[in-house]
Amino acid sequence: MQIEQKSWKDPVLIAMVAPLAIVMVVFFLIPLLMTAVLTFQTTQYYRLSWTWNLKIWTEVFSKPHYWTIMLRTVGMAVVCVLLCVLIAYPAAYAMATRLKSYKTQIQILIIFAFLTDAVLKTFGWILILDKNGVANWLLMHIGFPPEMLNLLFSPAGTMIGMVYNLVTYPMFTIYLSLVRIDRDLVLAAYDAGASRLRTFFEVTLPLSRPGLYSGAVLVFVLSLGAFLEPRVLGGGTSPLASELIRQSFETRVNWPLGAALTLVLIAIGALTLAVSAALTLRRRPNQRSAA
Amino acid sequence: MVGPIIDAADIVKDYGSARALHGVSLEVGAGEFLALVGPSGCGKTTLLKILAGFEEPTGGRLEIQGKDMRGVPAANRPTRIVFQKLALFPHKTVAENIGFPLKLQKVAKPESDSRVRAMLDLMHLKPEYLTRYPAQLSGGEQQRVALARALVSQPGVLLLDEPMSALDAKLKKSLQAELKKLHREIGTSFVLVTHDLEEAMMLADRICVMRSGHVVQIGTPADIYYRPANMFVAGFIGETNFLPVTATKTAAGATVTSPLIPGASAEIPAEHVSPALSAAGTALLVRPESTRFVKGDASPGEWVLDGEVEEYFIKGASTQYRIRVAGLPAAVVMDLPGSIVLPARVGESVRVGFQPAHAFLLSE
Repeated sequence: MQIEQKSWKDPVLIAMVAPLAIVMVVFFLIPLLMTAVLTFQTTQYYRLSWTWNLKIWTEVFSKPHYWTIMLRTVGMAVVCVLLCVLIAYPAAYAMATRLKSYKTQIQILIIFAFLTDAVLKTFGWILILDKNGVANWLLMHIGFPPEMLNLLFSPAGTMIGMVYNLVTYPMFTIYLSLVRIDRDLVLAAYDAGASRLRTFFEVTLPLSRPGLYSGAVLVFVLSLGAFLEPRVLGGGTSPLASELIRQSFETRVNWPLGAALTLVLIAIGALTLAVSAALTLRRRPNQRSAA
Repeated sequence: MVGPIIDAADIVKDYGSARALHGVSLEVGAGEFLALVGPSGCGKTTLLKILAGFEEPTGGRLEIQGKDMRGVPAANRPTRIVFQKLALFPHKTVAENIGFPLKLQKVAKPESDSRVRAMLDLMHLKPEYLTRYPAQLSGGEQQRVALARALVSQPGVLLLDEPMSALDAKLKKSLQAELKKLHREIGTSFVLVTHDLEEAMMLADRICVMRSGHVVQIGTPADIYYRPANMFVAGFIGETNFLPVTATKTAAGATVTSPLIPGASAEIPAEHVSPALSAAGTALLVRPESTRFVKGDASPGEWVLDGEVEEYFIKGASTQYRIRVAGLPAAVVMDLPGSIVLPARVGESVRVGFQPAHAFLLSE
């Protein structure tokens, strides 16, 4: 039986799509529009006044302070992506090749870690990174000077927390790309005279690119909005965008400013998504299997 | 005469406690086309992987072009393989795929380009395919690209792992013809793994029939068809008939009698008797095409079986009959030249005749 191409007028189809569509419109699209509308207002004496001007946008674009924080956020996200990919790729590669027979056990362990509440895990890092924490205690016991590391309440602490919480995403996307590569392609490269290293760069790496890209984009977008890690482990000395936005809304009660900064952050994320989608789509025709 | 390109002796392969190859010995001559044939799980693919260097044999000796291949990785062997599913690199263009072995050998770009183009010509592929990706080609074209990639570096031996099993019948026929022509043109040794004995007979100079890790018979297609070592080899190509007989060896060959034809006895010449003849399960191999319907008197020396038409199949050039004969476990299969008038209908009583002296005497 052939499944007909359903028209958008089909009542059953509408009924099936409606719940999600309504939720998305009411809780995502409308708030987003409201955020955009907010940016054209101003606040006076902690009260919102409906003015319709570009005052906030002028402020956002003229104050280098905001852009320093935005740049720092993007920089942290880039470093986080690099670290996550560097850690995730070898792990995913091992899981897809050498450790194939243990893959279920490994996946269960990773999913467990993944499903454990991020707040809990992030606070857990305090115990490790603290001056008198587990990390320094261990280092001291293997002969390093006491209190060697001072990572808590620093950008390094934030980074450790972010990498830890996000590394599973690229691990799974890369793993899924790697297991889809036909083993014969690797053998064909060996047969043609390629070394193991050459085979990796000529065959395995290019064919795992979709997983690499999607994992990297996920990490990038999620670390742009990282809120928990900088707050718990970063100590507030070098705030990131999320902290700046929180302050604008809560401390300074300047909702239009918070809204404008939010839109800037969303724009950076959306731009990254668009560029990576274009890159991936460009490669789509080659990725179809020859078999 | 130069020595064999491939000299394999007593190759044993174990996977854990399971033995896949029980001491296989095989020689492939320079420029020879050898086919490895057998049912699934007979070890033919394992043997090919050992030749290619993807698997190390557990025991035995393997020499290719006179060099011991122990510990030599696939990359350093004079063999190239065409995979069953072709294994073309999906992210590389046709030109990059074919030129890949040359790139690894650091062949200069102009020379590499001209050799890739020469392969393209040899495979009857159009030059505009060079910039296409494998997924943009048809199955037959992908096949040719895979062959081109395997042959571009002029290997000593080309290994083919059932490369045509996924193609439709018509395309398969035309590629088989091309493969044979290609082999004649370039003179490289070919080793083809296939489960299709008919394909092997069409293409190969010699056929190696394998069964559960053993070589059952190595011989020319004519040997395999007309002088099969045993009933397994004889029955591997299509349907055939085995008539149980009692045989007594004589100086000139053998004397056979059949319980189904009382009183008849026939002399089988020595060249129609299997050298591996044993007492157990002796039978006459009667090919379907050497049977006929007997109407009237039998010819001199002819054996005749009485039966009833069970079914017939019109194949155009020939008509196949299946005749139920009392006392035989399976229906007798007959291939008769096709004709517009059916010689017999279903349920009709018929007499099936054949010359025992033209049949082949073998055992299980």
